[in-house]
Amino acid sequence: MATESNEEKGRYLRYLEVITGSLDDKRRYREYKARVRRLPENWRTAVEALERYLMHFGPMDGAGWISMYEDLADLVERSVADGTPVRDVFGEDPVEFVEAFMANYPAGRYRARERRRFTDAVRRAAGEAPGTEDEAG
Amino acid sequence: MGKQATEMLKGTLEGIVLAILAGRPAYGYEITAWLRDQGFSDIAEGTIYALLVRVEQRGLVDVAKVPSEKGPPRKVYSLNAQGREYLEEFWTTWSFLAERLEQLRKGGK
Repeated sequence: MATESNEEKGRYLRYLEVITGSLDDKRRYREYKARVRRLPENWRTAVEALERYLMHFGPMDGAGWISMYEDLADLVERSVADGTPVRDVFGEDPVEFVEAFMANYPAGRYRARERRRFTDAVRRAAGEAPGTEDEAG
Repeated sequence: MGKQATEMLKGTLEGIVLAILAGRPAYGYEITAWLRDQGFSDIAEGTIYALLVRVEQRGLVDVAKVPSEKGPPRKVYSLNAQGREYLEEFWTTWSFLAERLEQLRKGGK
């Protein structure tokens, strides 16, 4: 990458980040993990289960993935402060919540892209032009 | 709230939340509490939060962080011009749908 170097440190960090990934993201992720550790135990259990679910869907990289965790921490800390029960936040069907939540971020968008790809492939296989819909009468 | 009502609500929840915000700015907890008061008891606060994140990303609402005595600042959402436009569209679609369903019911008697 040919960029004009502004600072030696800046340049050094840029090289380093090619190898390590964004250091800023790593710092923010560590901060997030620290926030989770400070949660009451039942909330921590629920959040860690949600994290595990998130990890299984799509690569966690690219801009914006870290804000998913930060938004999650905001929600949960706010709920703890308000005294909202875990069930009221996660809902009767926690999968529904996590899917709605995830869809806003790159990890979720990765899935959305694959869904679109699949839908388009079926459309081509069915010999349809893009965007046509059957009018059922 | 019955399963059928929950399912029907899903498609309209975004419009409902924007309509609430058209009345006055609110934060997530208030919106969920209001919905529960109105009998929409099955709605998870997390789902409302996810919806608010989405409408914020799409530029339909403005967000102000308001300090709170306890816990992190509250995010207070208000409907902006683009959001109002979107809400208008929602009501048009809703009217169309309600009208057609009513016709269908009368025809089915």
